[in-house]
Amino acid sequence: MDTVIEVRDLHREYITHKGVLHRKKEIVEAVRGIDFSVKKGEIFGLLGQNGAGKTTTIKMLTTLLAPTSGACKVFGYDTFGEEKYIRKRINFIFGGEMGIYRRLSARDNLRYFANLYLLDARQREQRIEEILELVELTDAADRLAETYSKGMIQRLQIGRGLINDPEILFMDEPTVGLDPVGARMLRDIIRKLRDEGKTVLLTTHYLPEAEELCDRMVILNQGKIAARGTPAQIKGDAETLEDAYIALVQGDKV
Amino acid sequence: MTKSVLLSTMMLQMKQSFARPMFQFCLIVNPVLNTILLYEMFRNSGKTNFAAYVILGAGLMALWGCICFSSAGDINRERFSGTLALIFAAPAGFQAIVLGKILGNTLLSLGSLLISLATAAVLYRVPLSLADPGYFAVALIGMIGSFVVVSIAIAYLLTLSRRTTLYMNCIEIPFILLGGMAFPVELLPAWVQVFSRCLAPTWAVELLRMSVDGVSDTALFWNKFAVMCALSAVLALLSMGLYQVIDRAVRIRASLEVF
Repeated sequence: MDTVIEVRDLHREYITHKGVLHRKKEIVEAVRGIDFSVKKGEIFGLLGQNGAGKTTTIKMLTTLLAPTSGACKVFGYDTFGEEKYIRKRINFIFGGEMGIYRRLSARDNLRYFANLYLLDARQREQRIEEILELVELTDAADRLAETYSKGMIQRLQIGRGLINDPEILFMDEPTVGLDPVGARMLRDIIRKLRDEGKTVLLTTHYLPEAEELCDRMVILNQGKIAARGTPAQIKGDAETLEDAYIALVQGDKV
Repeated sequence: MTKSVLLSTMMLQMKQSFARPMFQFCLIVNPVLNTILLYEMFRNSGKTNFAAYVILGAGLMALWGCICFSSAGDINRERFSGTLALIFAAPAGFQAIVLGKILGNTLLSLGSLLISLATAAVLYRVPLSLADPGYFAVALIGMIGSFVVVSIAIAYLLTLSRRTTLYMNCIEIPFILLGGMAFPVELLPAWVQVFSRCLAPTWAVELLRMSVDGVSDTALFWNKFAVMCALSAVLALLSMGLYQVIDRAVRIRASLEVF
């Protein structure tokens, strides 16, 4: 299988300045030299505690953030400097209720993002109908998104992320706040994407979900990789993936 | 494709802007208040066609307010609603999207000129008599172009920082004064006029007033028009260069989102 994502010795620092007269520079190392690769058609998980560097990594992969050093490649192109070869072929979904226009309907949101992904008019309308059906928003398609429940907004986010039929879909905690029905729907969509040969990179705190979906995963802890492998490999002798995970992030086993 | 990106962004922008009470205030209430204030200021000024200052001034001040608070503020609104990263990374290109937003805002904001005109006519029975409608149309198009170019530069700069609200409040009034929208720039100190003359909208405002009063010297009109176009072109080129810098800087500084 082809490697579609490649990360080598990746670092990312955030620099902030405090004070007016005596400005102090503070450096936070969010990602500290991580390596991993993802093959075409895989569902790959990035797991870790809050602040482990998952979101920073996903933002570097989606061309939204520049790496401080190291290699960060998607389809063989650098995500910082060669992003124009990447952006049309990927999409991303960040968990929560952000990332849509609340004063537009679901249909108008999808239509607008379809335009931004340069879909032609016929392809666009057909794709919008397919997506509305997939995320079960057909009946509410023409209502303003501001009238939607949290779960409906997240389903619309998922729909937006699929608008360009991406080869790689990046998902940052996509099930946060979703009800069980919504979460199940999302898992079904992810499996469907895998069946279609798409690649999915997702971060999650929900370990049973990661175990159920991911072909391979890495566990990040304080910006470094604490473990990598298939869910079974990471679980090892532990009773559950959660036990193995807690042992890893608490430093009992590295 | 770019046409559909521009049109859909303009439509989205107009829908979103008009739904906001602050924009409605800037678009509708501001030109009414500006017209009343400027009318009282200019009533005893001795200027023959003071309506040109009152109506155009009030309309332009409100127009600039709408553009400033919307074009600039929208970057922050997009940032806080989590859509800035999405439009920044969209294949359509951030430059086309920003242009669409600003065109949408500008088109909608032109309504402030009409409201100013209506206020003067209803409250003071002062009509705006256009001595040269043809020249006025040319000046109006030039003015729109110059405002759009300035707005693009500001929108790019504000993508870089999260202190957008502070900056847009800082630039609104100085720009109105420097651009000669409220009163002629000749009333400003000589050293300040140097800055005024570097702004394309200053020349656009003068062209509008010339066309209202009547263009007696056509060569002077076209000279001013050429200066306005040249300044707009320079700023447009600078903005294109600025975008290349900002495109990298926002991703290095991580300013696309709220962390």
